[in-house]
Amino acid sequence: MQATVIQRMDITARRLVPFGVTLVLMLFAMTPTYVPGLSHVAPMYALMAVYFWSIYRPDLLGYGSTFAIGILEDLLAGTPLGSGALILLLCQRVVFHQQKFFNNKPFGIIWLAFALVAAGAALLRWLCVGLVATSGFTPIGQMSTAYLMTVAAYPIVGWLLAKAHMKLLSQ
Amino acid sequence: MRLPTGQISRFGTLKSLLQRFAFLSLIGVTFALMLIGKADTVLVERARDAVTDAVTPVLRVMSEPAAVVADFVNNLRELAAIREENAELRESNARLLQWQSAAQRLESENKSLRGLAALVPEPAATFITARVVADTGGAFAQSILITAGQSSGVRKGQVVMAGEGLVGRVMQAGLYSARVLLITDINSRIPVLVGEAGNRAILAGDNGLRPRLLFLGNKTAAAPGDKVVTSGDAEAFPPGLPIGQVARVEEGLVDVEPFVVRDKFQHVRVADYGLNGILAQQTPAKTPEK
Repeated sequence: MQATVIQRMDITARRLVPFGVTLVLMLFAMTPTYVPGLSHVAPMYALMAVYFWSIYRPDLLGYGSTFAIGILEDLLAGTPLGSGALILLLCQRVVFHQQKFFNNKPFGIIWLAFALVAAGAALLRWLCVGLVATSGFTPIGQMSTAYLMTVAAYPIVGWLLAKAHMKLLSQ
Repeated sequence: MRLPTGQISRFGTLKSLLQRFAFLSLIGVTFALMLIGKADTVLVERARDAVTDAVTPVLRVMSEPAAVVADFVNNLRELAAIREENAELRESNARLLQWQSAAQRLESENKSLRGLAALVPEPAATFITARVVADTGGAFAQSILITAGQSSGVRKGQVVMAGEGLVGRVMQAGLYSARVLLITDINSRIPVLVGEAGNRAILAGDNGLRPRLLFLGNKTAAAPGDKVVTSGDAEAFPPGLPIGQVARVEEGLVDVEPFVVRDKFQHVRVADYGLNGILAQQTPAKTPEK
């Protein structure tokens, strides 16, 4: 049976959900929160989204989309161009590579694995930014706090992403 | 039509090879971009300008709800403290009235002395007010995006203030948006004067909440509470702009608490003092339309 134009548009829109949601989360990370001290240790929301979609919908978020989001983040945030894209791509690669491990695992394990992936990502980004910047490395304490914030925020963001997943991509 | 099993597996291998190729080439591109960015080409800067110009309207809409919530919370907090604040204000009003009469006396004295010395007045600064729509970088960079760009007269290198203190300077100016490098960014270096003695030092950010003083000749020259203002050296900033006060002096490290709290301001003022400091564009900037 031939799908109507509207049905096809609907399917395309649904297929764009992972990319769109990741993009929105990346932009959300940049909006001022007016919470004292938070802007210095803001969680890495884009990393959470890339990790989530790479586990649950690897077919809908490819390397190209991840790269585009990372580059956009670097351009907007003023961080060295390519550093954000690099860690998102590596995170995705790790998850793709360990796809069997992630299959049907309880949330606790997924969260723990995210803590490991995010630690690697934060460390690598810290290295990249430090090596490219002219004034040396950010104090490691600052980076560690941002990392802990990222790990702590994952259950909430993961829950929201799971809601979006079930609601929009269950068919 | 169904593909035979052998064909499916060959198709799968091809797909995974393609994926691996895409991954490796994109990783290569990220490294290449980091090198290009390091060389600081005009191309990267133009790309940043174009992207911030395009995304700023979206960020503007997205930042609206947080601003509304922040205003609401502030209102509640102010309402709760209204009585104490009123008493404080009465007290400071009485004190300020005394200062006002002193200032008036000094102003008239100043005017007559200027007349005697035939002083050429400094050119007045022009100000542009803009909204803060993004707070970017997190632990890795400290900058904000504002809703005014070259079309409203904002130029690279201009000074950005909020309320009572220095916020930073314009690092990149697109047509309708600009990026401001905050004084807390790791790449920020500002020549300053410390305390009443006016000891020279460099205020250096480290992406944390409090920037540090470097090259302060005599470490004992700074004590908690000392005011830190711009020195005007290198012509990047005019002299005397308030930045903050010394918060802690410990083991040779001097931390400065900025007057401007980053999480408090929603608007900033971009000031043009007609300076062509180290961050100014290579090509002579056009004078802003007034």
